[in-house]
Amino acid sequence: MAWFASAILFLIAALGLMVAGAAGPAHWENGRALAVVHLFALGWLGQMMLGALLQFAPVLVARPLALPALALPALLMSTLGVLLLAAGFLALDGWEGGILLLEAGPVLLAGAFACGGAMLGGTLVAAGGWRGSEARVVLAGLAGLVLVWASGAGMVLDLTGNGPGQLIEALPLHVAVGVGGWLGLAAFGVSYKLFAMFLLAPDGDSAQRRAGFVLALVALSLVLGGLTAVLTALSARLAVIGVAVAALAAAVLYLADIRRLWTIRRRPQPEVNMQMSRAALAFLVLVCGLLPFAAAWGGRWAEAAVFAALVGWLSTLTLAQMIKIVSFLTWIQYFAPRIGKAKVPVVQDLTNAGAARRWLWLWTLGALCGTMALLAEMPLLFRLASLALLAAAIGLAAEAVAIRRLSHLSPDARPTRVPVILPPLAERRPRNDPMQA
Amino acid sequence: MTPCKLDVRPLLARGEEPFAAIMSAVDALAPGQPLCLIAPFRPVPLFNVMSNRGFACSDRALEGGDWEVIFTPVSAVEPGLAPGSASAAAFWPEPAEVLDLTGLAPPEPMVRILETLEAMEPGAVLFALLDREPMFLFPELAQRGHEWAGNLAADGTCYRLLARRGGDD
Repeated sequence: MAWFASAILFLIAALGLMVAGAAGPAHWENGRALAVVHLFALGWLGQMMLGALLQFAPVLVARPLALPALALPALLMSTLGVLLLAAGFLALDGWEGGILLLEAGPVLLAGAFACGGAMLGGTLVAAGGWRGSEARVVLAGLAGLVLVWASGAGMVLDLTGNGPGQLIEALPLHVAVGVGGWLGLAAFGVSYKLFAMFLLAPDGDSAQRRAGFVLALVALSLVLGGLTAVLTALSARLAVIGVAVAALAAAVLYLADIRRLWTIRRRPQPEVNMQMSRAALAFLVLVCGLLPFAAAWGGRWAEAAVFAALVGWLSTLTLAQMIKIVSFLTWIQYFAPRIGKAKVPVVQDLTNAGAARRWLWLWTLGALCGTMALLAEMPLLFRLASLALLAAAIGLAAEAVAIRRLSHLSPDARPTRVPVILPPLAERRPRNDPMQA
Repeated sequence: MTPCKLDVRPLLARGEEPFAAIMSAVDALAPGQPLCLIAPFRPVPLFNVMSNRGFACSDRALEGGDWEVIFTPVSAVEPGLAPGSASAAAFWPEPAEVLDLTGLAPPEPMVRILETLEAMEPGAVLFALLDREPMFLFPELAQRGHEWAGNLAADGTCYRLLARRGGDD
């Protein structure tokens, strides 16, 4: 949960800079805008995803997390790496000192991702995770993380004058594999399991899921091919088109699969997190609609598609599930030891569902307005949308803190010990070992 | 397979060292055969020795302060049990409680299992049917000194869990 806290701070920082006008329609290539994009994509969504995967990889394969001691170094290197990278991008706006930071950022991030990959890959591979329909998508997402790092680090080499010079051509592939290959596939894998849990739908593979996975592998291979083409100074245009087609098809199959889960669910009235996840999925539909234009014309279409994906789809999904996961883990932490010995509250009592819902609606409204502002190239509307997003993010962060502090419980239902805000970085699962009985 | 029974209480009563007798009993075990040891105390040092020889152990207090320890060769653990399952589950008594917890949202199954276990006699066994593996339940069972064994049904549609109430210490 320390990952979540760090990620939320990055989210608020990125949105604050957007409100201040650091980025906006047709302003995404200067240093400040790149800093905002990376604070958002790496600091907020990337850390959130890594933190969530460290929690859920053990659930996906029913094994304890491998190498849990790496969680702290991974978090520290990732936080510092994102900060250095973001500060380093300011070098593009003429700040000489930034060059060194820009070079150091990817090195630290490599360390963070290596630690994360060792924990997650180690857990999933050791348990034969590639056989499971959820875990293998997450493994493909980790492959996407390698590609997004490699393409990003290559572009940084060029920007700092140490590279061959044409690597900036890899930008569309870098964005595509960052949004779709890493964050998107990881979100697919986690949501298969989470949605089934929260909707009380059966787990299990499906034809759509298998076909989607094959398409995801095709898209990742095309990214690799495109990056190789850029390295050898060939055009990556064909690869970009191919990636867009494969990603579009994979997303449609994913949506069909989630629809299937939704129709066979056994919980008639889904909770806030699932209601708002539908809004997130609606943004994925919007992304699918924008993707062909983005691939064909780039420009504002690409800006809107990426914004709708990062802010609309992935962030709404993450924020909605974050509230649920934080309350669930907090409940487990404080009340699981009391079951059968004292009266325990239900998980829902830890959350103010009405407040969470209102902030999440404000978030989706901001995301929609932001997407429209990018399409219509309206900088003022974009800043207003960013303000709505910032207010919603602060509201949801405050709700998460209230959940951690058990603030919504009546005083007599609260444990006497004052809760700490942050539990351990990675939950360790004691084995049922009679030797230690 | 029937465990080979070894009662070291008479040896100890005569003031003899039981280690050699235990080791020769272990050497004489048939492949996969567990060893059931009765001792007047909980033979903690033996747990490590036996663990190094590839045996998992489960122990329980008998009346009068004696202990019964069952050492099971790890390879003899019933195939298909989830990692972390107690190896001696095959020797547990018939379940005293059966719970069907399918269709309940987490963490309700965990609440029901722990509440039921807390109300049961030490050593009694509970059987529960769940929609999925109760990941958050396992550390809590271990913390409370209960043992468990479980696996996913072959068709993946439900999870079967046996949990044995630990002693009150």
